[in-house]
Amino acid sequence: MTRAGPRLLLLVPLVLVTALALVGPWLPLSSPTERIAAPFQPPGAGHLLGTDFLGRDVLARTAHGGRTLLLQALAATALGSAVGLLIGTLAGLARRGPLTWLLRLVDGVAAVPGLLVVLLIAAGSPGSDLAVLIAVTLVSLPFSVRVIGAATARLTELGYVRTSLARGDGRLDVARRDILPNIAREAWAEAGLRFIAATQLCATAGFLGLGAPAPEANWGRLVRENAAGAAAQPWAALTPALLLVLLALGTTLLADRLTAPARPQPSQQRTVL
Amino acid sequence: MTRFLLARLGTALATMAVLSAALFLATDALPGDAAGAAAGADATAEERAELRERLGLDRPVVERYLAWLGASLTGDLGRSAAAGRPVGEMLASRFGSSVLLVATAVVCIAVAATMLGMPAGLRSGRPVDRLVSSGTVTLLALPEFLLATVLLAVFAHGAGLLPAVSLIPLGDSPWQHPQALVLPVASLFLAGVGIATRLLRAAVATAAESPAVEQARLSGERGLRLAWSYVLPAAAAPAVQGLAVTTAGLLGGSLVVETLFDYPGVGSELARAVAYRDTAVVQGFGLALAGTALLVLLLGDLVSGLLDVRSRSAAVTGGRGERRLR
Repeated sequence: MTRAGPRLLLLVPLVLVTALALVGPWLPLSSPTERIAAPFQPPGAGHLLGTDFLGRDVLARTAHGGRTLLLQALAATALGSAVGLLIGTLAGLARRGPLTWLLRLVDGVAAVPGLLVVLLIAAGSPGSDLAVLIAVTLVSLPFSVRVIGAATARLTELGYVRTSLARGDGRLDVARRDILPNIAREAWAEAGLRFIAATQLCATAGFLGLGAPAPEANWGRLVRENAAGAAAQPWAALTPALLLVLLALGTTLLADRLTAPARPQPSQQRTVL
Repeated sequence: MTRFLLARLGTALATMAVLSAALFLATDALPGDAAGAAAGADATAEERAELRERLGLDRPVVERYLAWLGASLTGDLGRSAAAGRPVGEMLASRFGSSVLLVATAVVCIAVAATMLGMPAGLRSGRPVDRLVSSGTVTLLALPEFLLATVLLAVFAHGAGLLPAVSLIPLGDSPWQHPQALVLPVASLFLAGVGIATRLLRAAVATAAESPAVEQARLSGERGLRLAWSYVLPAAAAPAVQGLAVTTAGLLGGSLVVETLFDYPGVGSELARAVAYRDTAVVQGFGLALAGTALLVLLLGDLVSGLLDVRSRSAAVTGGRGERRLR
């Protein structure tokens, strides 16, 4: 698991899946909402991956189903990380006062299952992709604030940070010049983990029927719609499921590389028994 | 210990306040409110205004939130718009099924996580550990709905061994239909076993490096005895906390699993209420699930606080600690 070669090789599918998700809707394929044949037809001419439960082209629906999901997850990660960086550094620099209470509250909120929070927040605006995006952002925010806050708190006792604060520099200035460059690695790794969670949550939201309503394609929803016909026409559910698996495993491996120590320490190898 | 408990209780209550406010704001106060939905598409502006007044929607948000929270806390969760039944009654009839489902999965997870996490933590960095860690990372990376769908496709639609829908006649307990429980429990098990094993492995690996275990090893303790009598007690506190976090996560996962298998629990009803905009049910069931998750986490902290040798009073730990070292 420590060799770089095979791991990089595993990232190739991730790049391909991402490209397919983003470019998919522009590919010259048949309409994703038009019925072209009988339901659950096996792969054949005109429909390379067969048809779904309503007789629509699985290939076209799969090509259309990834972009919203990926953009939702990316936007939620970017938004959550940006706000998390701001609140986290400020809360980490604060020794007392409301911002330190905020960190404690954030610990509590982060422990509540994310899927439940997404369902409850998105429930108010059914059929809205934006509501899912906001809900996923709100779920990822506490984790970012917690990690960035802890990383910042470790630096606040250092001489140059104390000097800057004592000199009367603004908190934001200190955060930007003295804190940010030193927590960049942790912030990127945390953003990677948030992206994995966001992808899972967005796909699950689609599976549960949140976000844009029925005719719209979404990998999570495609799995749900076609699971019942898996015995007759496995490709309809299998194709979006496989793409989601590749996306999930690829991002996990990438984040693993970002968070792993540069070289395995000798002390990691030990046997007790 | 008392101070720690009070602090944790305070955090849990504050979290519950934040969550309930977010839930209320999302379901009740956003545009496209309940009056619009209840009055129908062709209601005139006056009819809507009258309905708003009758439903109390013209009062300030904070006032309505406090009134709702007060009623919820006294057990009045309102009435379902779709079923016409009191939400509290619906919740009571479904809560047991969900508890049974999640508890069965948690017991299986606890056993499996111990059997996988112990050897991995004790031999950290060795092949066993690498194998277990790769397996858990893979499970962690996959959303629970994919795992559940694979089980459904293979065992129900493919092999036809188990029912695809957890049909449980009204009034029966899921216990009386064990074949309906197998796939939902297996799905939740796969969804939680990865994170639980990882947390347990980390706890065991840390415990295995502690001076007490080192001492026991040097005085000749080996194998299962060392693992059972020395490593496990030292790892118990973080392990229990890890199991609590896993359980809380499974409450979220139960939304997906119950919906997929149509299992008659809290999660499937909540997902249905969200789809049909049954606001009272969404609020009541949402509060119940969030409250249960927080309660599980609080219990986990409490038990792990009691198990943690360092937080016990010196009179209790002193003797035991010395005996252990000898």
